[in-house]
Amino acid sequence: MLWVDKYRPKTLDQITVHQDVAQNLKKLVNEQDCPHLLFYGPSGSGKKTLVMALIRQMFGPSADKVKVENKTWKVDAGTRTIDIELTTLSSANHVELTPSDAGFQDRYIVQEIIKEMAKNRPIDSKGKRGHKVLVLNDVDKLSREAQHSLRRTMEKYSSYCRLILCCNSSSRVTEAIRSRCLNVRINGPTEEQIFKVLEYIGKKEGLQLPSGFASRIAEKSNRSLRRAILSFETCRVQQYPFVSNQAIPPMDWEEYITEIASEIMKEQSPKRLFQVRGKLYELLVNCIPPEIILKRLLYELLKKLDAELKHEVCHWAAYYEHRMRLGQKAIFHIEAFVAKFMSIYKTFLISTFG
Amino acid sequence: MDMDIPLPDELELLESDLHLYEDYLEPEVYEIEVDEEKRDKESSGSPILQSNSPDFSSAALNSVTESSSENGLKRLRSDDADVLRDSVLDDVEPSGGKRSRTDKPEVENEEDWLRYLPPTENNSMAEEETNLAVKEKTVFRFVSEIDGDFIPITAPDSDERVYVKLSRSGDKEESKKLDLKERHGGIMQENINVLLERAEKEALTKTLEASYDTQLDAMPPQEPVMHERLWVDKYSPSSFTELLSDEQTNREVLLWLKQWDSCVFGSEIRTTSDEVLSSLRRHFSMAQHHKLSSLSSTRKNKFPGWKAGNFRDSTFSDNKEGTTEGIQDTWSKKSRLPSPPEHKILLLCGPPGLGKTTLAHVAAKHCGYHVVEINASDDRSSSTIESKILDAIQMNSVLGDARPNCLVIDEIDGALGDGKGAVDVILKMVSADKKAERENGSKDQPGKRSSKKGQRSVSLIRPVICICNDLYAPALRSLRLVAKVHVFVQPTISRIVSRLKYICNQEGMRSSSAALSALAQFTECDIRSCLNTLQFLYKKRETLSAEEVGSQVVGQKDISRSVFDIWKEIFHTRKLKLQSRSVSKSRNTCDKLEHLYSLLSYRGDYELILDGIHENILQLNYHDPVMHKTVKCLEMLEVSDLMNQYIMQTHQMILNVYQPSSIITIHRLVAQVQRPNIEWPKSYQRCRALVLEKMENLRSWHCRVPPLISRHINSKTFVEDLVSPLLHIISPRTLKPRAMHLLSEKEKDDFTQLVNVMVSYAISYKQIKTDPHSNSSRHEATLDGSVFALDPPIDGFVCFKDYESCHNVLALAVKQLLVHEVENKKILQGSNGKLEPLSDAKQVNHEGTRDKSSKGGLTKTECVALSAKNNTEGQKSYSTQHHPSTSTSASDGNSAPGVNLKSSGVRKNPSLGSSSFFDRFRKPGSKGSQTTDSIDKKEITLQRDLRPLLFKFNEGFTNAIKRPVRVRDFLL
Repeated sequence: MLWVDKYRPKTLDQITVHQDVAQNLKKLVNEQDCPHLLFYGPSGSGKKTLVMALIRQMFGPSADKVKVENKTWKVDAGTRTIDIELTTLSSANHVELTPSDAGFQDRYIVQEIIKEMAKNRPIDSKGKRGHKVLVLNDVDKLSREAQHSLRRTMEKYSSYCRLILCCNSSSRVTEAIRSRCLNVRINGPTEEQIFKVLEYIGKKEGLQLPSGFASRIAEKSNRSLRRAILSFETCRVQQYPFVSNQAIPPMDWEEYITEIASEIMKEQSPKRLFQVRGKLYELLVNCIPPEIILKRLLYELLKKLDAELKHEVCHWAAYYEHRMRLGQKAIFHIEAFVAKFMSIYKTFLISTFG
Repeated sequence: MDMDIPLPDELELLESDLHLYEDYLEPEVYEIEVDEEKRDKESSGSPILQSNSPDFSSAALNSVTESSSENGLKRLRSDDADVLRDSVLDDVEPSGGKRSRTDKPEVENEEDWLRYLPPTENNSMAEEETNLAVKEKTVFRFVSEIDGDFIPITAPDSDERVYVKLSRSGDKEESKKLDLKERHGGIMQENINVLLERAEKEALTKTLEASYDTQLDAMPPQEPVMHERLWVDKYSPSSFTELLSDEQTNREVLLWLKQWDSCVFGSEIRTTSDEVLSSLRRHFSMAQHHKLSSLSSTRKNKFPGWKAGNFRDSTFSDNKEGTTEGIQDTWSKKSRLPSPPEHKILLLCGPPGLGKTTLAHVAAKHCGYHVVEINASDDRSSSTIESKILDAIQMNSVLGDARPNCLVIDEIDGALGDGKGAVDVILKMVSADKKAERENGSKDQPGKRSSKKGQRSVSLIRPVICICNDLYAPALRSLRLVAKVHVFVQPTISRIVSRLKYICNQEGMRSSSAALSALAQFTECDIRSCLNTLQFLYKKRETLSAEEVGSQVVGQKDISRSVFDIWKEIFHTRKLKLQSRSVSKSRNTCDKLEHLYSLLSYRGDYELILDGIHENILQLNYHDPVMHKTVKCLEMLEVSDLMNQYIMQTHQMILNVYQPSSIITIHRLVAQVQRPNIEWPKSYQRCRALVLEKMENLRSWHCRVPPLISRHINSKTFVEDLVSPLLHIISPRTLKPRAMHLLSEKEKDDFTQLVNVMVSYAISYKQIKTDPHSNSSRHEATLDGSVFALDPPIDGFVCFKDYESCHNVLALAVKQLLVHEVENKKILQGSNGKLEPLSDAKQVNHEGTRDKSSKGGLTKTECVALSAKNNTEGQKSYSTQHHPSTSTSASDGNSAPGVNLKSSGVRKNPSLGSSSFFDRFRKPGSKGSQTTDSIDKKEITLQRDLRPLLFKFNEGFTNAIKRPVRVRDFLL
């Protein structure tokens, strides 16, 4: 097991990073009245960990006994029946799934799974009819139709099940759903928090941490605890005992984008744009989400840019990202951003240096 | 009989003397006079001959054709009454020897007989023989035989051509005469009866004609009806030389048709056609030599041993006339083995109006076939088409036209559902043919051949010409593979204009060359549409000006173009002529935009068009100093993409009308005069396919990872955060390829940790064949040509082009070790999960194997006396039965985490029950005694346990049996 999994807190009490949230959730559960919950926050901030700990708090250790199922739903959609396949994790008391994996058919999943859960309610130890918990990941990637269908079923079956929704950004979850849930924002951990976690792991593993090393990892982690721990372990594997100025291995795709950015800064022409396109395709081929590419590219470009251009470039990045989300072919939009940047930068260069 | 030399020779000649071909028009005019003469003498003759002469008015022509055809029928009927010989001669006569080839098969026999009769039997033959002897010196079939100047002479009716030597001026006149003689040779030889009959018939024809004429005169209103005949039909080329289409194509089509001669027309043609075929197959110069020698030598000893070896053994009863000479024998045998050309089907394709159908008809007629056409207007369901094709191919018409059929399937791409029937039928025939050929090739026994004959009857024995517009229509996919394909190209404008001009002159329509060329350009050299337009204008106004053509809507085609053409149209702009004024310029651009718009909307496939633009736009050479144009173009592409997405989501297809606008904007921005080099857009599709594949890989891997871990990973976080560190972690630099027992304690820990990680993330290595091109294999290419690659290929997620990742690659030995360990660990975990009750003996087994595997896992003995170390361990675990707590502490001390798990399992389970398979054989009493007086026996057992004797039962299927057991357990 990697350290990420090894030192993942199992219960709400063990949680260190979002202690206040954890305590509030504990109180919430203990009062036996849990509303629907919506967790949102950047990736690597510990949403899923929190959710798992919460479920454990609700149902005890039995929640850990999970089985993986590759379930096929037969959905009757008007004239024809659709077969939808999706992987679910389920224990006696809860079901986890990522409906957005089903693509544009996610609507049927959302409706079916909740109805199915309502059909076979578990009976808890006290003989009362208990409720199941449904954990939905990546709610922000759900299609609008799915979100609308979720909204009605959420109300209708609220006595049978509780929904826990997880997403990165609440802005793409419809207002209607947000108002039906208790929204819990999970911040990305601060660098100090990450630092503390790393120190804790170091102590457990019996490692000698040179001063400043952990804080450097925390700094580089982009406030993602997962990434911090992973790169910590990578450093450990690569070289131990640690040196305080030890190189922290970068993410490969980030390195690649840095290369692209420097290429863009070197020359601005359609020919260069063509080369850049090839590299962008490479990134896309490796399943890196286009939003992240654009974001990282902007980040890299901004590092090398004059202050007076930064504002404009950011504006255009946002503009093109918006279009990218509306559109279909991400490469068009990323490339358009690159072209725009080249144009701006070249005009700037000509006006400054003549 | 020298006239039997068929056209393939001539064709081949044409290949070698292209420039000569242009000359033939002149002699033709010259020959017409001769023709007139001949016509006077002859009866009306064939209809082709008549329509050939351009100065006939259409009305007269029509009537003549009608009457003549009637006449022909009549004549034939009267001939029936005549003696056989007469009819034969009559058949041979009208067009000289040339025509005889095209006659019925029965006639062939007769002619065969004629040829091989000794010259003394027929006086006329002898006469001709002498004629021939004279003629050979001046009139030649081949330019190559003439060493001086020459004139090619073509007869208008038969299209046969001879070359006349010009070296001696006196000879020229004579040669012409000879030529004439050649034409009329048949008549000279006829006896008086026939001639008389002929004269009678002629008179009849004339009277008939006269009556028609008077009829026409009497009924003037009929005249305009005749006049309204479409120009397209009126002036359609009727002979090979008049064809407008590309000469290369014409000739190739003709050559292909000629290749059928051997198969269709039998042996009398074969004398030369075989020679041509063989010479075509061989080198050209070789062929030339061959021909020369064959001509110089007399016919009889031309091919003394020609393929005789092949056929000598085959026993064929000669079903010809019974002439059993040696040479004749081989000929007749050859006729039994017809050799149709390699490709049995000719597929002509090209845009409409270039004369494909005309070419097919003319060429077939020229080669002496009767054309049977099946086009889209006919019923083309597969059942009817099959019988139709079979009829056309296997039957000959009994009445009148005795020429063999040539099947022309027009518009074969037109009807997908029904037209497919025709394609299927033809393909079936071709494949049957192929099969037969293969059979023939493999078994050359005569018996087989006779059985094959039945099969042959279904196969193709007549030429089939298919005509289509779109070569890449899906229905034609299979046909394309077996057919000989000819793509029509547009004829030059000048050629079309000259033809149009000629027609205009004929019709008395005034027209300028500029206007005609504009018309030709406008219709994209579609002669049919040109003529229709002209005729239309002629009826309306009788003039045609260059400006009018552009504004006229007539003749404009709305054909959908290929997507490549559209891309070309987008990226390419024509240079505006300098003299065009600003007013017309603006109009011009407006027109062009409209044209582009209609082009795009006809095509419709916007997504593909956009992809193509995106793929190619950056390769263009437009002037763009600060990339404004590029930004704008990409913006347009974005807009189109957004629109596309919106349309797809909301299904409002009507919004598609706005799609061309963005494309036109791009055209305005980047269109260049120079020709763009356009590539098919592959990269986007490739990217999509690869992403899907990788996602699938990822998903399947995700399912294998235990849920405790997998629930925290999704595809995004995997590629974003996890892959790179994970790859670093599973390939540590510190791990040296060393044997297990040489590792230090710390290294061992690291190793176990690594195995743990790999197991929990379901990663392993697997052996794959070396791919010499792959990047990774360079580091670790082994002798046996196989490498270990990561099992879910997660390293694929960090491999970018032109990027060297700094991941460490483990040595091969380490990988092997890891694979082994991971497997072990997996089995261990599996058994741990399933077999809950663990007994002491089982644990011994595990400890033993663990120790063994830690030493390399290679030693496997069946009955082992374990070493001292194992011995003590065994003792400890044996004592587990009585003191569980001590056992766990003992095994905890010196075992890896994997064993930890196991021993914890032991702790949980009540170990007192006899759960082991072998425990059942133990006597319970002895067990009890052991517990009671353990203190006494303790020492003895200790003594004995120092060297325990183990028994391992190696058969069986479960681990419950296959494990070492102490022999003393049985004894007690």
